[in-house]
Amino acid sequence: MPFDDVDTKIKLVVYRLTAESGSVPTSAEIAQATDLSDADVRAAFARLHANRLLVPEPNDPSRIRMAPPFSGIPTAFPVEARGKRYLANCVWDAYGIAAALPSDAIVPASDGHTREPLILEVKSGKPISQPYVAHFAVPAAHWWDDIVFT
Amino acid sequence: MLLFRSEETVDLWCDAHKIPRRPLINLDQLWQLAVTWYGNRLTIESRRPAPDEMMSIFASIGLTGPFWDPKSDQWK
Repeated sequence: MPFDDVDTKIKLVVYRLTAESGSVPTSAEIAQATDLSDADVRAAFARLHANRLLVPEPNDPSRIRMAPPFSGIPTAFPVEARGKRYLANCVWDAYGIAAALPSDAIVPASDGHTREPLILEVKSGKPISQPYVAHFAVPAAHWWDDIVFT
Repeated sequence: MLLFRSEETVDLWCDAHKIPRRPLINLDQLWQLAVTWYGNRLTIESRRPAPDEMMSIFASIGLTGPFWDPKSDQWK
């Protein structure tokens, strides 16, 4: 499947609009921000998905579920940065948003089992030390079998 | 990937979900992974790492073995 400049252009617009607003844009919002049609943008979403660069929302090709590290839906990993509230797909992606912006960030997360609040913080390009751990439940060879669960 | 206060709560989660315990990484390793993986994600230079590059990235923070090999067939 081809991966051409239109896809790169759309991918960059997805990330620019997300970084500016805190919300992952819809295909209509991307079409409005470019000279492309909504159908062109949706087709690009499908190609970017085939290339494992984003995940459209199941049953709604106009929306994006995941533009890693950003999530298009609420998650257990909000990221407060640049005066906005972003949404990360997982704890790796929560740090990933701070790294990608780049920005200081606070992540009001919680323990995956007990739900006890666990706060992560990134300041001046470094994480504030905490004794917490991240658990990878799925081997790398299977991350894209079900990337939402991973 | 989920966050846990300690190895003890990881074990409780694994027991509750009947999922075998898999590798744990500390927050310094996770930050290094995030910076390497996502540091240029908003730029035109960003691209998904090839499988061998992925393994190099994992190895650079001490994560080695078939669990971190995107081409491994150990779990099929």
